[in-house]
Amino acid sequence: MDLIIEKGLAQLRGLPFYPLIQSKSKYELIDVTLTVIGVAFEEVSKRAPDLKREVITWNDGRRCALGVLPSGPFITLEKREDRIHYLGKRSVDPHVTFLFKNLDSAMLVLTAQMSAHQALAESRILLDGQVSYGMELNRALAIVETYLFPQFILNKIFKRPPTLNIYQLAAKAIIYAAMGPALLKNGIKCTFKRQ
Amino acid sequence: MLPNYYQFYCPVKILSGQLAVSNIPFEMKLMGCRRAMIVTDKGVVKAGLIDIVKSAFADSDVKIGRIFDEVPQDSSDKIANRIARMFKTERCDCFIAVGGGSALDSAKGASIVLSADSGNILDFQGADKITSDLKPLIAVPTTAGTGSEVTKVAVIYNETTETKMSFVSDKLYPNLAVIDPRMTLTMPPMITAATGMDALTHAVEAYTCIQKNPIDDIYAKTAIDLIRRYLVRATEDGKDMEARMGMANAALFAGIAFSNSMVGMVHALAHALGGVCHVPHGMANAILLPWCLEYNIPKVPDYIAELSGLLGGAGAYLKPAEQAEETISLIRNLLKRLNKISGIPEKLSDAKVLVDQLPEAAHAAINDGALVYNPREVSYDDALAVYQKAF
Repeated sequence: MDLIIEKGLAQLRGLPFYPLIQSKSKYELIDVTLTVIGVAFEEVSKRAPDLKREVITWNDGRRCALGVLPSGPFITLEKREDRIHYLGKRSVDPHVTFLFKNLDSAMLVLTAQMSAHQALAESRILLDGQVSYGMELNRALAIVETYLFPQFILNKIFKRPPTLNIYQLAAKAIIYAAMGPALLKNGIKCTFKRQ
Repeated sequence: MLPNYYQFYCPVKILSGQLAVSNIPFEMKLMGCRRAMIVTDKGVVKAGLIDIVKSAFADSDVKIGRIFDEVPQDSSDKIANRIARMFKTERCDCFIAVGGGSALDSAKGASIVLSADSGNILDFQGADKITSDLKPLIAVPTTAGTGSEVTKVAVIYNETTETKMSFVSDKLYPNLAVIDPRMTLTMPPMITAATGMDALTHAVEAYTCIQKNPIDDIYAKTAIDLIRRYLVRATEDGKDMEARMGMANAALFAGIAFSNSMVGMVHALAHALGGVCHVPHGMANAILLPWCLEYNIPKVPDYIAELSGLLGGAGAYLKPAEQAEETISLIRNLLKRLNKISGIPEKLSDAKVLVDQLPEAAHAAINDGALVYNPREVSYDDALAVYQKAF
């Protein structure tokens, strides 16, 4: 069976339009994953006390962006009223940006194969802006991943995997339940904006 | 063990040894330069070290266009702007930075300003933001510790926002590093000990942090071996030319190692102590190194254990954690010996740090970029606990 799949993939790779399709698919996947992360930042900052504690020291109006070089996709987040707000799929004059050097590097982090700190250490992410802002964004991203990913993934990618207490587990369950409607709401908002 | 991914780059030509400074004019001609601007500080001038550089130009057709000797302890954006203006008016075409990290960073800062032309130096903060070539830079270190002569980093103090700006770019590597033992002979014992421990910290962190790699390991191990042989000797007898040369090379190798592998929590905690309590960088590293290694033992016992032989340990242990403990105790013994010779403090309380300042320092430490490279996660509570142990 594996041999058949491998042969099929090899044939597919030989097609002239394969690299284009492959990079388009990666772009779309990263675009969707970044949107999920943007929405998750909103939901987790509403419900998780650890993220609330982390962002309370951020100055109001601080904007952070995540994006991929050379030409996107991008998302921007903003801290306002003790919460993180997702500003949408564009770079809106950010104070600090995590820029993935290419789509492959972004795939590693956004599909939870690698943590953001590891990607920073391996120079797969460029930090554009003040280093201390970057470190704060890195910690906030780790907290969002804690509430987004299952424990076995956290055990694999984190230096010190978090052990969630009963309240945090309850918050994680609520965040999981809230993510569907939040994504739907975001999708509708985007459709109206486009029109 | 090979890391998941690593990068290595060091394009610096190195001249190391007796009368190396005398070769600067020849090297300038090779680089196509004719008029150099020397960037240094008053202490270096007072010690007569600029005279050594000037005498190298006496019978040469390349010239020193200007000597700027007002570099402060921390290089700032205003100083970088001043140097850049002078460089233009004096029609210089390369920099010769003579001094410690601050002189080198000032020259690098001025070079960024010149490359930005009328642009703002602030736009180039962060990693890999500098894309155009900078002015040729010749680095002549007068201390043996920072390794700035072979690193791609410049730290410039922003006088307006009162923050330190980090610039990291391959363009910031000097073109030439000149290691001449005459240039470090005047260093007093305390500075020799502190800068030597700084070099040791660079090497140890390069070897134990998450971006360690086989190329940097070679440089880090060689640096540690040289430090074991020569640091005590150079601190005891500043005129010991062989020891000075050994330490200058140790700092150079450690610099190459950490410029690629980067550094971890010792530096993060030391940077914060420098900012909050104004403890000199080398001194803070010296005090914190054993405590931070102890903190990291659970994650990287093997790497720490492997260093015990290089530091003079003779024991072979069944468990890496036990051998790692020996590495730490050898570093503590080294610090103790240096303390007896030079008076370098062994505890934070002896370095005029107040216990009330530790929470603020711990807050600053967890926002330092070096923590990304540390093998073990460091939270605010962890950083505070390490400070308290080292107090």
